[in-house]
Amino acid sequence: MKKKLGVYICACGGNISDYVDIERVREAVKDEDCVIMAKTTMFACGDSNQKDMEADIKENNLSGIVVASCSPKLHLTTFRGVSERAGLNKYNYVHANIREQASWAHSDNKPGATEKAIHLVKAAIAKARLAESLEPIVIESKRAVAVIGAGVAGLKAAISLARMNDDVYLIERDSKIGGKLNELETISPENISGKELLERLQKEIASEERITLITNAEVVASRGNIGDFKLTVRISGPQGNTEKEIHAGSVLVSTGFNSYTPAEGEFGFATVPNVITLPEFRKLMGGQKKAAEGGSGKLVYNGKEINSIAYIYCVGSRQVKGDNKYCSRYCCTAAVQASLDVRAIAPEIENFHFHKGIRTYGKQELIYKESNSKGDVYIQFMDKKPPVVSAAEGGISVKALDVLTEKRESEVIADLVVLVTGMVPDSDTSIGTLFKLPKGRDNFYNEIHMKLRPVETVIDGITIAGTCQGPKNVMESVNSSLSAAAKSHSFVSKGELELEPIIAYVNADTCNWCDACSKACPFNAVAMVETAGGQKASINKSTCKGCGMCLPVCPSDSIELISFTNRDMEDMIDVLAL
Amino acid sequence: MQKEPITLTYDAIVIGGGIAGGEAALNLANNGYKVVLVESRLSVGGKMIMLSKVFPTLDCSACITTPKVSEISRHPNIKIFTESDITSIDKLGEQSFVVKMTQRPRYVVAEDCTACQLCEQACPVIVKDQFQYGLVGRKAVYIPFSIASPKVAAIDIDNCTLCGACEKVCPPGCIDFTMKPKEYIFNVKTAIVATGFRLYDPTNVPRYSYGTAKNVITSIQMERLLAPTRPFHTILRSSDGKVPDKIAYVLCAGSRDDSMGNPICSQICCMYSIKQAQLLLGALPMADITIYYIDIRAFGKGYDEFYEQAVSMGVRFVKGKIGKITEKENGNLTLRYEDVATGKLKEAEHDMVVLSVGVKPNKEAADLFKSHKLELDGLSFVKQSDPLLSPAKTSIDGVFVAGAATGPKDIPDSILSAGAASTEAISYLNQKSQ
Repeated sequence: MKKKLGVYICACGGNISDYVDIERVREAVKDEDCVIMAKTTMFACGDSNQKDMEADIKENNLSGIVVASCSPKLHLTTFRGVSERAGLNKYNYVHANIREQASWAHSDNKPGATEKAIHLVKAAIAKARLAESLEPIVIESKRAVAVIGAGVAGLKAAISLARMNDDVYLIERDSKIGGKLNELETISPENISGKELLERLQKEIASEERITLITNAEVVASRGNIGDFKLTVRISGPQGNTEKEIHAGSVLVSTGFNSYTPAEGEFGFATVPNVITLPEFRKLMGGQKKAAEGGSGKLVYNGKEINSIAYIYCVGSRQVKGDNKYCSRYCCTAAVQASLDVRAIAPEIENFHFHKGIRTYGKQELIYKESNSKGDVYIQFMDKKPPVVSAAEGGISVKALDVLTEKRESEVIADLVVLVTGMVPDSDTSIGTLFKLPKGRDNFYNEIHMKLRPVETVIDGITIAGTCQGPKNVMESVNSSLSAAAKSHSFVSKGELELEPIIAYVNADTCNWCDACSKACPFNAVAMVETAGGQKASINKSTCKGCGMCLPVCPSDSIELISFTNRDMEDMIDVLAL
Repeated sequence: MQKEPITLTYDAIVIGGGIAGGEAALNLANNGYKVVLVESRLSVGGKMIMLSKVFPTLDCSACITTPKVSEISRHPNIKIFTESDITSIDKLGEQSFVVKMTQRPRYVVAEDCTACQLCEQACPVIVKDQFQYGLVGRKAVYIPFSIASPKVAAIDIDNCTLCGACEKVCPPGCIDFTMKPKEYIFNVKTAIVATGFRLYDPTNVPRYSYGTAKNVITSIQMERLLAPTRPFHTILRSSDGKVPDKIAYVLCAGSRDDSMGNPICSQICCMYSIKQAQLLLGALPMADITIYYIDIRAFGKGYDEFYEQAVSMGVRFVKGKIGKITEKENGNLTLRYEDVATGKLKEAEHDMVVLSVGVKPNKEAADLFKSHKLELDGLSFVKQSDPLLSPAKTSIDGVFVAGAATGPKDIPDSILSAGAASTEAISYLNQKSQ
């Protein structure tokens, strides 16, 4: 039976229609074979247009639709939903991207952009003519989540997942849990130490029967996919290594960060005495009693009483010359907090802050205010003129051009210099390599979409939480960890999952197993099977992602991709080439 | 008048239909829980649906809000009430809350309205459009905005003259002046507060001349001028139609200043101003854009790079706090400021000034809870009872908080906090029932 197609061309509120003449596109495609209606719309994704589309499909008995709008990455599910609600199998909807590929790419050439849009829509119509109804592949999903990394993000995720009745394998590389919580002294804004927080979390972990904690453990191999990841965990113990296999429906990665280690000589680090990093400074304060609680009222380092401290901000962050262009987000607040903490230990201490603009965002502003009111001195240096640190008589000299005093040079002779070091990605990147997790420009793991899918990765079933995604303070890490827990939970909570049916299939009549496809497959989805007709390739339906890598390498052209068959592609190319 | 309130039962109530409330509702609904979402305005989507583009990716805000809004409004496990006010929430015990709500009449039968806008054309009354932040007018019967959800007309009864013009032209005859408020009672097991924030009212700072000088606007008004569904389809001074070519941003307008009644940093203004500056350079390539700032707080993922991008595009950044804004006869503005780089008092003339207004709390949330006290912090934001380890917990067990109700937050942080609130709510529902 001949298809009846409806075509919708979106203006995207000007994003498309400012460059593409959508009325001309409509005119050009409305008489294409099988097209019985073609409409333009201000926002195809808008609620009212979705309603109109549903009505159109029902009233005109449409057997296929084409939507020409933005990237299908944004709205594929939106229009699949429209089709389903109108009783049309969702694989009869075909998308044409005329925003990223036409209006935005060719904003300098409006007629050209319009011409390209017409071709793209015609090609989509050609594909829609051949589209077939498909049913999703349903697989079982193990009600268990593997959480990798037991810092604050991993611990909170594990506890929350267990409380949502999921089994949890909490895998930690180190012999003890807690990650960087073990090193934190006072955490803003609560005046609680990391150790106190950790004690609470340890109790909660211990009381959750669903959590299996595995320390001294590393994930060394992974097979399978969403619904059933099979992880090989190597556990080192006094009797040598043992290996254990874990099955989980989803994996939550919370491998954390490293503190930046300055290079030798960077602001006097390792070359000038008494130049230390912020984590080292916090450790130094860790053992000291507050003056009000019976402490000596003094801070001693390297046998010397410390009367003045210079803090240098943005060490390893916002680098003008280095690779770390990003802001590490937590360090301004952490350094200001540390400078308040040191006053509590040694009230007479003088604090000098050399910074590039203090970023105590939100309510954290209040501690900056407090620090100012206690008499701390803030000196803002120029981006391109970082402070110079050198050994001097009676202490360490820190010189900088001060933005506030008409760029006059200020010099402070301090007893101690604290380098406010930022966050860098964990140097152990094995988990990222194992799961092929993409990284951003800053080398932290990347989410799919910062706002729409902030804790998911492009690898189905793998979520990211905490600082492995980017710098965060404790509260922000926990928020992201609980969000990731919600997402991982939704992958496993129903016991089954629906997968895309757009996968590769083998024509056994022509296949003469040569192994080329299995070598090309990045997902280990192709295997050899013995049949009466000899050795043939066979594709695992739940691991195949439909990426198409196996297609072009097949010498006998025996593999096709559902919905992207040779016939589909040739028909589309025919139209594009016109 | 309705005799008995309508009583309904849900697993969870979400208070506020902005991006945080919507995200929390979706998380719960996708895990099988029945959710009622209550929004006080005519449309869900909160502030985000009104924005132009979002930092630091410059995604079109409507393009990423509408799929969420659409998913929320069609989800079989979510029931939405717009134009509705909660009057009380009482906790009877664990997993037992009673919520009373009143839905104000729209005077339009929502199910029958097709948003054809004939009523709008017929209505003789013009008032300021609150959804366009007063930049243009609207009718007394109106569709809130083009991507509103639900996209249904409503009558602003306070300004309506009851002339009946709309009733005569409405094709499905869905105007109904006899509508009365409807009372509801919900029995729910848990609640998520996602009441968002208010924008700082710049008339509190008379020296900035907002409301008196015609070409001093707020940043949310600039969002509307820049949005795809913008009222003028270009950037102009609404007072005289001039296309501005020297635009100033005044940061910390209502932030980081006790004398303005807000000691904290509003967390979003630096970034949205930098974003608007970049969009303005796209829309008005010849314009000069100057941002007057105290500190640039570009702290999130990709934010500092976005700031550096603005600098390289030619946006001028001047470190200095604006003391006073005065209007000249031609409508231009004189800005007095201390230029920190030189330590001198300076004056600059601009033909449009945008006040980057800050974030203030919506205190009303606390008043809804009657039997138990929903505590607020010293700044009147909802207090987090365990901010480090359970940021979504409040002073009431079973009541969680999402988004900017606890303090200023950008969109990614709001969405993550909504994820946290829904996880806590699911844990609460699971644990106590065992």
